[in-house]
Amino acid sequence: MSWASATPPGTQPGYVSYAHAATAYTPVAVRQGFGQPYTLQPQYAAYANTTNPPPAPAAPPAEPQQQQQKIDWPDKVRSYVQRSFESKNMLPDVSREEMEAKLKETISHAKDAGIMYTTDWDSMPLPQMLVRTQRAALLEAQQRATTQMLAASWPSPASAAASTEPPARATNHHNSKKRKSSDFSESDPSTGNPWRSNKKLLSLSDRISQPPGLDKHILHQTLDLLKKKWRKENNYNYICDQFKSLRQDLTVQRIKNEFTVSVYEIHARIALEKGDLGEYNQCQTQLRALYASGIKGNAVEFKAYRILYFIHTANRTALNDAIADLTTADKEERAIKHALEVRSALALGNYHRFFQLYLDVPNMGAYLMDMFVKRERLAALANMCKAYKPDFKLRFITEELAFESDAEAAQFIIDHNGQHLLVEREDSIIFLAGNAKQLFETARADAHRRVDLKGQI
Amino acid sequence: MDSLIKEFRAAYAGQLGNDLARTLTPDVPNNAAQLISVWESGNSQSVKDDLKFLFVRDKSARLNMSSEEAVGWQEIYYSYWKALGEILAAEGLRKSRVKTSWTSVYEAWKELASQIIRGYTNHEFENWTIPCLYVAGKYMRLYAMRADAERGSNGDEMVTNFQDDFDPETEKHKSLEDCARQLNRIFNLCLSDRAPLSESRKWGIYYAINLLFKTYFKLNSAALSKNVLRVLSAGRGDMPDFESFPKSQQVTFKYYEGVLAFLEENYEEAERHLTLAWLLCHKGATRNMELILTYLIPCHLLTTHTLPSAKLLAPFPRLQALFLKLATAIKKGDLRGFHQALQEGEDEFVKRRIYLTLERGRDIALRNLLRKVFIAGGFIEGAEGGAQVRRTRIPVAEFAAAIRMSGGQDIDTDEVECLLANMIYKNLMKGYIAHERGFVVLSKNGAFPGTGV
Repeated sequence: MSWASATPPGTQPGYVSYAHAATAYTPVAVRQGFGQPYTLQPQYAAYANTTNPPPAPAAPPAEPQQQQQKIDWPDKVRSYVQRSFESKNMLPDVSREEMEAKLKETISHAKDAGIMYTTDWDSMPLPQMLVRTQRAALLEAQQRATTQMLAASWPSPASAAASTEPPARATNHHNSKKRKSSDFSESDPSTGNPWRSNKKLLSLSDRISQPPGLDKHILHQTLDLLKKKWRKENNYNYICDQFKSLRQDLTVQRIKNEFTVSVYEIHARIALEKGDLGEYNQCQTQLRALYASGIKGNAVEFKAYRILYFIHTANRTALNDAIADLTTADKEERAIKHALEVRSALALGNYHRFFQLYLDVPNMGAYLMDMFVKRERLAALANMCKAYKPDFKLRFITEELAFESDAEAAQFIIDHNGQHLLVEREDSIIFLAGNAKQLFETARADAHRRVDLKGQI
Repeated sequence: MDSLIKEFRAAYAGQLGNDLARTLTPDVPNNAAQLISVWESGNSQSVKDDLKFLFVRDKSARLNMSSEEAVGWQEIYYSYWKALGEILAAEGLRKSRVKTSWTSVYEAWKELASQIIRGYTNHEFENWTIPCLYVAGKYMRLYAMRADAERGSNGDEMVTNFQDDFDPETEKHKSLEDCARQLNRIFNLCLSDRAPLSESRKWGIYYAINLLFKTYFKLNSAALSKNVLRVLSAGRGDMPDFESFPKSQQVTFKYYEGVLAFLEENYEEAERHLTLAWLLCHKGATRNMELILTYLIPCHLLTTHTLPSAKLLAPFPRLQALFLKLATAIKKGDLRGFHQALQEGEDEFVKRRIYLTLERGRDIALRNLLRKVFIAGGFIEGAEGGAQVRRTRIPVAEFAAAIRMSGGQDIDTDEVECLLANMIYKNLMKGYIAHERGFVVLSKNGAFPGTGV
């Protein structure tokens, strides 16, 4: 789904004023598909004409020049115009049309006011800069208005943290009933703040003009809105960007409290559900730091994920550190106990135990285990093929390696070029283990060699 | 200050690197009085003037030193004097009872280290003076750790940053992280010297590397040491022979090289390095031997499946506490005992990063247990009336019974088969499992390789 489809034009009046800015600060890649042309919407235009942004000298409304007389433009103005069009001066968040309009406005204002020759065109900010400044000022004004409006009616935000408490999880019989990240949040939809809800990451310079802590309520409101949107639309790319933007706000405003934790937790769960390990890992790193500074959250749940994650990435040193971090009380927690058992089973090559643990994972750990279950199945098969002679029923593999059905197990073997190892005998399918040693040993070695470290630094 | 410079001149005239380094050693516990007197020999301006006189104008010394070099030393002693002031203040030994922080001590000492480095890059210092670099590096690391510890205990607010990622770990080790960068400069200073070996600073390289290793390990970023090793092996050709470095440096280096290989589960390489360190280690250096053994023993367990003898462990009570119980359980094939010993020692093992390795000792314990089952199976008549042979067809149920007894908990047959499969896969046991018929067929010769049966 593209970005644009998630945000029907016209429904989000504030969206325009905030369009995405990509400057040196933002650590994420700018989405390329953000194709909506920037157009002045009526309310913005109205605003722009009445607001008087202090730093912009060209603010007073100017009548559009009806006819272009022949004027001898001074050289300074010419070079100013030239500079405005230089590609290195273009700003990604200011469209060309907009810049041109502003340029026209500026110059005609200077002409009308008769200051064309007296203005210091060399130090005059370029039109694109003027547009930006004006937007920031507008935003601030709007925000102030919103906050005042909300201040009176907004309920306590405490519910946000509580709502993420994971309920006990039903056993995950195969992958039939995996938990969704959306299970974690109760539904408390709110109307949402229209201008805030569809914001892309901002540059720091835009943000700095805003007094810190201004929109705490709005942040809470945004989180609720995002949760709702995630449940309804399930558009990961969109939601991920929104969460990043929210996280950035928290960072810039230096908010480190339980709300921060819940934002990271929810984002981490969503990323897990979508298999976006890079994003998940970022959240996990932050969460670890946040928990370490004594902020409450679902530390146990995430400590368990962390262990599973390091099993997946086969990062032995980090795994050792993760274990060293655990307290005695931690080790009694079901989720952590489970993760530790998974680790121990793998370390000892006890695939039987491993796959039993795979069938019963607390919280959303199954999404993590899915990442390496294929690898471990190959390891187990390599193991079995060396140890068993001459053959055994396919059913044995289905049971030992936790496949959902014989068909799935057979498919797995066929996928690894093992069709010749399956023969039908009497009423069951037999797996010729004794002949498969080399095949699965090679597959195992391959699978263990490359661990996909998306987003791992 | 005069007396200090007198010592300097004597050391310089004789080209005695260690003596020279001693004049820059702030050994407070053993040498407080002298250090105080150096500090009290003047104020900032007078010390500066004194040093200028002593190094530049005083012709009586007749040291064979270029004026460039003299300026270098003059700067160094001035920085040293300033650092001393901070050190003494931090130790509470200044008359005025001025307070300072270890962070300032660290900064002052870092300045001195920079001056010394500059001595080599800009002031033509010769290579016999490298012990000065050692002192600079050694104390820089110590002060960095004290600075971090002090800030930690004061609970100082974290420096705010606007990064999306913040990490209290890095804040906690701010000085030491910085120290690692400075040590890296020293390392590169030694590495990049192109002078002929007899005059090269390359002789300082292992000291610098060892300091870097210590620092990286402390910072929990042992992996960074790998870069050092890579650089080192790239320039191995123009390096002096490893054997010609002081033994103490060789031992430390080999130890860290071994531990690094150990952490990467490269046990054979680890064993090679650690064994070398073990053999070179001074017999009186009990603590160092203990450290080496901490890693060498688990290594040995995995590579050769052998356990430390009581005699080996005898001089090291700490190692006995660490390994003895585990070793006994492995020897007896006592699964429950092994589990208990592993759990009891878990914190220690994890701290030393040997837990994950020792855990694999369970395989050996299990092997020993299964071997007992095999032996208990006794002999059967050989084919066609031949000599008696061991019974090699053993029901899985027998192994299962043994594992249940030894492990103290129930276990289903499939899991037992899984464990047996592992034994075979890892070459600890030779034979195969006949699943449908429910027994194991062991090899007639050498069912348990390396154990005599």
